[in-house]
Amino acid sequence: MSLFTRTTRELTVRIDEFFDTIEIGILIFKEGIKAYVNGDYNAFQNHLAKIDDLEGKADRLQRSIENDMIVHSILPQQRSEIVKLLWQLDEIIDTAKKSLNEFYVEMPHIPSSLTHDFISLAEVSGNAAEELMPAARAFFREPHMVREKLIRVYFFERETDKAAFQMKKKVFHEMNELSLAEKAHIRYITHHIENISDSAQAAADLLASMAIRQML
Amino acid sequence: MIFLFITSGLFLGWTLGANDASNVFGSAVGSRMVSFTRAAVIASVFVILGAVLQGGGAADTLGRLGTVNAMGGAFTVALAAGLTVYFMTRAGLPVSTTQAIVGAIIGWNFFTNNAVDGHALTQIVTTWITGPVLGALFAYGLYHLVKITRRKITVHLITYESWLRRGLMTVGAFGAYSLGANNIANVMGVFVPSIPLEPVDFGIFTLSGAQQLFFLGAIAIAAGVLTYSKKVMQTVGTNLLELSSEAAFVVVLSQALVLFIFSSSALSGFMVKIGLPPIPLVPVSSTQVVVGSLLGIGLYKGVSNINMKVLGSIASGWVTTPVAAGVLAFLLLFFVKNIFGIDVGHSVNPPVTNGNAVNLAVIIRYSIPALLVITAVYLLYLVLSENKKTELMNKKYYE
Repeated sequence: MSLFTRTTRELTVRIDEFFDTIEIGILIFKEGIKAYVNGDYNAFQNHLAKIDDLEGKADRLQRSIENDMIVHSILPQQRSEIVKLLWQLDEIIDTAKKSLNEFYVEMPHIPSSLTHDFISLAEVSGNAAEELMPAARAFFREPHMVREKLIRVYFFERETDKAAFQMKKKVFHEMNELSLAEKAHIRYITHHIENISDSAQAAADLLASMAIRQML
Repeated sequence: MIFLFITSGLFLGWTLGANDASNVFGSAVGSRMVSFTRAAVIASVFVILGAVLQGGGAADTLGRLGTVNAMGGAFTVALAAGLTVYFMTRAGLPVSTTQAIVGAIIGWNFFTNNAVDGHALTQIVTTWITGPVLGALFAYGLYHLVKITRRKITVHLITYESWLRRGLMTVGAFGAYSLGANNIANVMGVFVPSIPLEPVDFGIFTLSGAQQLFFLGAIAIAAGVLTYSKKVMQTVGTNLLELSSEAAFVVVLSQALVLFIFSSSALSGFMVKIGLPPIPLVPVSSTQVVVGSLLGIGLYKGVSNINMKVLGSIASGWVTTPVAAGVLAFLLLFFVKNIFGIDVGHSVNPPVTNGNAVNLAVIIRYSIPALLVITAVYLLYLVLSENKKTELMNKKYYE
């Protein structure tokens, strides 16, 4: 029984650590975009290296949590959903890393008139993911609080869609100085940033249904 | 010779272990919170303890229903009940050993022209209704309490689950103890009047004749748990209602409480002491209580969660079990007496006036309310299933 208690405690700590890793990853992503758009490439590369480490750490934690849950038959009924939730959360940091990698590899040209738009798009998209974390933590401790915390996720996801739409409209309708290739490239990069809030929304949907079942 | 006669009781004990005892841990095993092996070992140990330490009260009540005064009669009565339970279990129906033994004893009363003790029968039949009703009430209340507690404490889900897992094993042990205390009367109660054994002194404690029989019966129950209860545990745990671990905990606890209430002479004595009527010490059907408890949880969650078809098939078993056991006991007693020439008992308590008329009156007296209750349950089932169908059709239509 003491072995079981220790596993339980360790697993609880590891789940919290997993959430911390994702949360820090999102902050790094926002800072990384800010650094790139402002032309601070050294800081950008530091952020890229950090997010790469964090993504690896999140993967390792995710696998070990899944493994322990199966081996020690922990939460047998909710296990598949929890595993799916962890996978969805991991998808957020994966997307954030991929986004920064796209910037690093493709070096998109960001016109100065779009600097502010890019930073605020990364900010709201990152906010959607950031607001998801308290809800995910609440599922394990206060499931009745999940729904009210998720409202902010949905709000920021909508704001991201609006911001991305406005930016794409601005690029294609107002910025005639850009070539079609540049416009398409910006649209592509924008889409990558948007993906973070979309992943957060998918995780939020799953979390909402899990919380309802937990409450019944 | 005695051992040969009690084999039918041991067989009945085995069927009880395979069927009724699994109700204690069925929800826990069905929800995969406790492994079958662990559940079976805990159930076996505590069933034996409960039977030996606290099995006397319910056995006395059953003895009043019909004092089977010959070993051949006790053998046949237990065999009829055991066969009924065995075949219904094989058919995949969760049946009640309590109803089987009551039906078989009434069959013996008919055969030997003994009057049925109306008071004892009333007590027993009343528990057929109050058992599941109490189970439902306890489950509803406890589930509400568990949910409130969960909201108040901000403990991690994994830690909470580990508490529940330990809780399930603890209340499962309590449930198994109560089951042994309450249901051993079904297994060995009929043998107590016809097999008077000498008390055995172990120095620090003494086992009376009845306790020795209860011990043997409890060993048979444990064998039934270990060898044949896995399938039934999974049926009870998953078929009727999809159970969460919290619900499984509540089902086991409420069932344990109901069985304990109807088998604790100390609690009954306490009730008398504080000026309340005593609690009848009656064998209660653990199957009915577990169904009642599941119903209580289902009502808390909303009635659409209940698999009414399974509930209906269980309810039909409540009627068919005593009738089948009674008819089978009557037929077996006829064969045992007339073909094998074995004494199956004699009339010690003949009906005061016209025997048949009295027995018929007793049957009518208890059959009419029982039929009314069954009809009400069936009508409720029809209304609910019709509502469910309408709801589903509307859903499909709008989708």
